[in-house]
Amino acid sequence: MIELKGVSKSFKGAIAVKDFSLTIGKGEILGLLGANGAGKSTTINMLLGFIQPDSGDINIKGIDVIKESGETRKLIGYIPENVSLYPYLSGLENLDYFCRLAGFVYSMGELTDFLTKCGLQTEAHNRSVSGYSKGMRQKVGIAIAYAKKAQVYLLDEPASGLDPLASNELSALLKSLASEGASIIMASHDIFRVREVCNRIGILKKGTLVKEFLSDDVSANELEQLYLEYMKN
Amino acid sequence: MWTIIKNEIHFLCRNRAMLMISFGFIVVLLISVFLGIKQAEEQEKIYQEAKTHLRSQWVSIKEMNPHSAAHYGTYVFKPTNLLSSLDEGVNSVTGNVLRVEGHVQNEIVHSEASQMISVSKFGKLKSSLLLKFIVPLLLIFLAFYSVSSEKQSGRLKLLILQGAKPFYIVLSKTIAVWFYGFILLSIVVLSYTLLNLSNSTSETFLRLSLLFLSYAIYYFILIGLTIYFSTRWLRTTIALTSMLGIWMIWSVFLPNILMSSVEKWHPLPSRAEFKTAMIEDRSKGIDGHNPSDARGEELKEKVLKEYGVDSISKLPINFDGIRMQADEDYGNIVWDKHFGNLRKVQKKQKEAFQLGGIVNPFISLQNTSMGFAGNDNLHHQEFLVQVENYRRDLIKALNNEHAFGGSKTGNWGWTANNDFYKSIPDFAYKSVALTSVLSNYVLDIALLLGWLIFILLLLIRGAKKMQVI
Repeated sequence: MIELKGVSKSFKGAIAVKDFSLTIGKGEILGLLGANGAGKSTTINMLLGFIQPDSGDINIKGIDVIKESGETRKLIGYIPENVSLYPYLSGLENLDYFCRLAGFVYSMGELTDFLTKCGLQTEAHNRSVSGYSKGMRQKVGIAIAYAKKAQVYLLDEPASGLDPLASNELSALLKSLASEGASIIMASHDIFRVREVCNRIGILKKGTLVKEFLSDDVSANELEQLYLEYMKN
Repeated sequence: MWTIIKNEIHFLCRNRAMLMISFGFIVVLLISVFLGIKQAEEQEKIYQEAKTHLRSQWVSIKEMNPHSAAHYGTYVFKPTNLLSSLDEGVNSVTGNVLRVEGHVQNEIVHSEASQMISVSKFGKLKSSLLLKFIVPLLLIFLAFYSVSSEKQSGRLKLLILQGAKPFYIVLSKTIAVWFYGFILLSIVVLSYTLLNLSNSTSETFLRLSLLFLSYAIYYFILIGLTIYFSTRWLRTTIALTSMLGIWMIWSVFLPNILMSSVEKWHPLPSRAEFKTAMIEDRSKGIDGHNPSDARGEELKEKVLKEYGVDSISKLPINFDGIRMQADEDYGNIVWDKHFGNLRKVQKKQKEAFQLGGIVNPFISLQNTSMGFAGNDNLHHQEFLVQVENYRRDLIKALNNEHAFGGSKTGNWGWTANNDFYKSIPDFAYKSVALTSVLSNYVLDIALLLGWLIFILLLLIRGAKKMQVI
């Protein structure tokens, strides 16, 4: 579903991503671990088509992201660390607005179902999002991606700042989406959450994918040791 | 695109601060319209009272020598324009009373500005003051916030990811803020129309529509430029500061700088130079009050020959009247020459100033706003011309009565009766035709439209170069 082949990107001579290759299949969740400036966000932005790589190929479902970013964006749902919604609209209205932009016009019932599926409490649906917690806004963000029938989910530090319950709910939601066939990339600092949610884990260091493995192959403690080891070296 | 516009309107309707600001603005705009109309009505009342009083004085002249009546003269008041309640243009500085008498073309006096206390000289609270200076500022802040908030919050990324085309985003935001300006503008125009429904004519509506259109285009230009800046600059404070700088240059500095430059490029003679030249040229003509004047002698010979007599005492008419009219005719030629030159320079100044609209659309707006409101220099000059024509007709009628009314040369005690004075019509001002106004401002309209196209192109470029991350 997602394929990166020898992708490199540098900004004013500073290497952000170097010779990055990766393939993520349907129903897979890949966790990208790395320190700040490791190239996680740059990779996500290249997948979104907002940054052009200097070299290499990026394909989503066989479509070239560089040449046809408009087409690939239709397949992508993006959930940043802080999902910013329109504070003067309710959760339902925000969802309706973003769906309409994507060309989907849903009934109120359908929109309610999307929000419920993504874990937003019913009583919050019609409330202004200015009073929403970070976790609630993230649920709306995921509902936006889900309602547009995204097949690829790109999450940039989604669990940062979430309370344990909200974080746990997010994990369950991502697993549920993957079980429906979505391919997910989750960039994070949170080793334990990544270990818990993802099938595969990649460690990025200074723009290079230094290690890639199945999450089942390592325990949480081993993963932490491995990560620290790579960061120190 | 409509989805984004609708969402922007939602923001305007649901944001409490915005609602309060809008409410405040609407109240101030309505007050300005109401006060403007009240001031115009008050002026119209004073104008009508003064006009009636002077006319009654004139028609109540029982017996008077026509030439004494020419010296007695009358006054003409500049009529108020219905749309002056919206934009009073040059009226507050040009004066509104003109003395009409024989031998001399007087200057218009008693400008409102000269009679105001210093603090009021900044101008009265007219709708145009708010629509030209204050509403644009509000629109700049709104337009600026509209894009910068999307960028800063990261929603812009989400909007594009959802399939919104960058050009549609910037255009929708421009249209949404413009729509807000359109509503403020509509409130002014509609409240004005409703309060003046009984006095309005089809021409008033046409002028009002053109005035509305000029402001609507200008607002789009200003908003589009603000949106362009906010798409291009990563640092939002720079974008806002730049736009406020442009607003200040456009509406405060550039018009003044340009006007001063235009006056230097096409200088008008000083008042003293102008008067000296007029007196000098006038002295070459006939002195209407001096029987021994050499040029008067030539005229006398001509008239004697015409009537087949050899002395003035044998003339069946009063030669004094003929001589005075000849003096007037010569004076009129001198006036036409000097004022014609003055007008030519003023026309050049006006054309050069209009070209300023190439770099400053505010100049084009200012011109069209005054022009369509009927309070620009074109209307003022037309008033002066009509008064001068009236003066000429009046003095000619008086001189003719003096010459051919039944008196003999030298009989300064002869009087015309009340019927004669009643027969002289009062001054009636005919407003400039809208077609003349349009042709006078075709350049300004074209420049505003040119700016509109330029802004659309800028928005396309801004959308292409928009910094999403």
